[in-house]
Amino acid sequence: MNGLWRVVAGREISTQLRSKSFIISGAVMVVGLVATIVIAHLMSGREQTKDVGYVDDTAASAIEAGSEVASSIDENLSLEPKRYDDASAAEDAVRDGDVDVALLPRSDGSGYELVGEDAVDTTIGESLRAAVSSQATQANAAEQGVDLEALSAGTVVTERLLDPDADNADLRQVASFVFVLLFYLLALGFGMQIAASVTQEKESRVVEILAAAVPIRALLWGKVAGTSVLAIGQTVVLAAAGAIALAVTGSGRGLTILGPAIAWYVVFFVLGFVALACLWCVAGSLASRQQDLSATTAPLQMILFAPYILAVTAGEGVKTVVSMLPIISTMMMPSRLAEGDVPWWQLAVAIGTTLAAAVLLIGLATRVYESTLLQTGRRIGFGEALRSRSVD
Amino acid sequence: MLEARGLTRVFGDTTVLDDVSLTVTPGRITGFVGANGAGKTTTMRILMGVLAPTSGQVLWDGAPITAAVRRTFGYMPEERGLYPRMKLRDQLVFFARLHGFDATAARERADHLLDHFGLLERADDLLDDLSLGNQQRVQIAAALVHRPSALVLDEPFSGLDPVAVDSMTDLLRTEADGLPLLFSSHQLDLVERLCDDLVVLAGGRLVASGSVDELRSRGQERYRVTFQDGDAGRLREVRGLAVGDVDGASAVVTLDDLPPAELVAAAVGIGPVVEVSRVQQPLSEIFREVSA
Repeated sequence: MNGLWRVVAGREISTQLRSKSFIISGAVMVVGLVATIVIAHLMSGREQTKDVGYVDDTAASAIEAGSEVASSIDENLSLEPKRYDDASAAEDAVRDGDVDVALLPRSDGSGYELVGEDAVDTTIGESLRAAVSSQATQANAAEQGVDLEALSAGTVVTERLLDPDADNADLRQVASFVFVLLFYLLALGFGMQIAASVTQEKESRVVEILAAAVPIRALLWGKVAGTSVLAIGQTVVLAAAGAIALAVTGSGRGLTILGPAIAWYVVFFVLGFVALACLWCVAGSLASRQQDLSATTAPLQMILFAPYILAVTAGEGVKTVVSMLPIISTMMMPSRLAEGDVPWWQLAVAIGTTLAAAVLLIGLATRVYESTLLQTGRRIGFGEALRSRSVD
Repeated sequence: MLEARGLTRVFGDTTVLDDVSLTVTPGRITGFVGANGAGKTTTMRILMGVLAPTSGQVLWDGAPITAAVRRTFGYMPEERGLYPRMKLRDQLVFFARLHGFDATAARERADHLLDHFGLLERADDLLDDLSLGNQQRVQIAAALVHRPSALVLDEPFSGLDPVAVDSMTDLLRTEADGLPLLFSSHQLDLVERLCDDLVVLAGGRLVASGSVDELRSRGQERYRVTFQDGDAGRLREVRGLAVGDVDGASAVVTLDDLPPAELVAAAVGIGPVVEVSRVQQPLSEIFREVSA
């Protein structure tokens, strides 16, 4: 081989770096990622005032008290009372979206009802319920001559957080989703690029000269190495851009939480991408024209799409198991790491199975690639490719 | 020396190549001719190792050829192929480097070849932007860029204008000097002008091979006799020859058992002779004869 694969890899890299579409799509991803982080930051820090409709004064004071309760649950949330002449006017306001919810007396005088359009926000509901109940209890206690303080002795429950930084569920969830989406987009994008580059060589017939000049496996390895370097390069650039965006917007706290997950993401990306890269080469070698690619790459697109769906929809137990399977782990592990801690042995199993799969797949792919690369006349099926053995 | 022994290739139920043996001698240009589908391309692909023979073998200097030796060959496949969206110089440098040249040597060599074809000032153009003739020049440059040890060229002259053909034959004569060179072509006049040796295939079988002179002399000797005036048909009276085309005072005769010197004497006996010359049998005629 004498390092010939490096010459092949070098051509692959320099060709892509000079291609406008590669540079543009890379820039779009970086901008998209940074924008996501900035928008998430702006959204999470925004003050929210919810309007609550009412008709009587008791409700008005309950809403004011409820606003304090709401702020204690979510510091950005406050409630604003809005008076209406009667219940039906308040209901219309809810329907029209003028107020988020209305606090109206029940017709039988037994208390109040919260009127929402199709749902009542849990935090607002809880706050108002607590305020109405405490206000009524106080009034009833005074009427009955009960010492409310004595009655409520021993009922205080306060909160003390051991690890307040970990309480950033929103950020973690967004990050976890971004990891899955990024891997899916990058693996698919670069995978299609490998396949297209192989098919292009078949289509332009340059492959016959290449095959006469260097061993076919040097061509395969060079292509895999070249594209992997590009994919990893882009991953590192994205990870760095994400980390910088987090540091700038999230005052460093987001970075402390997500830093290890980002680092692991790069590790898993490298493993998962290299394991699949050879198969993308094979998909390219099975096609004889660019139009065949959608058919020959379909199985690989499925391999990537299935874990994407799993990652978005599956429950905790399923995720834990599949996150240790090869290739799927590339998507699931960083996503789990972003959501919370993962036992070290699960990480080790995930890396081990992906490495084993990579070795197996590279061996298999090399064999198939050698037997299909020079068949330029037509599209070849996966099964047929596996059965054929030598160059003929 | 590049040799093929008993090459046979079967695709499914069809035998496209049947027991073909040939020799390409260093320093001699070997022309490879045959009708479409005669098996020329299949033979060349087997010689280059991009196709495996069903049976038979390829030898280099008498020993079975290795992949390492083959990689030193220059190859121009039937179906042209380079990277369409790559610059000419980058392209040639890439192929030179695939053959183990370092970056500097590869660049020098690429520029030398581009210069020969007058393409140096277009070195940074994309292949796609070139005319087909110029693309062909780059293709041949790609086959020569690594100073090959042998050349296997499938239809290197197809689609070239006469000037380009001359420029390419010049280059081949210099670059392939002392190397075995096998090229296939449909242009028999070109083959006739360039080749020392000839291999003729028909229907997957070898029908003739040897030096061009040898093949020519296989036919009977023919002479053109021109008298000062009168009817050349009078030559029919001479024994031991057959008279072919007669055109007034001139006729082409084929000698059966008459020595050439006696033909001259006999002709002079008929009337004043202006010219007696040997007629070379055109290659196209040999080709038609052997592949009929």
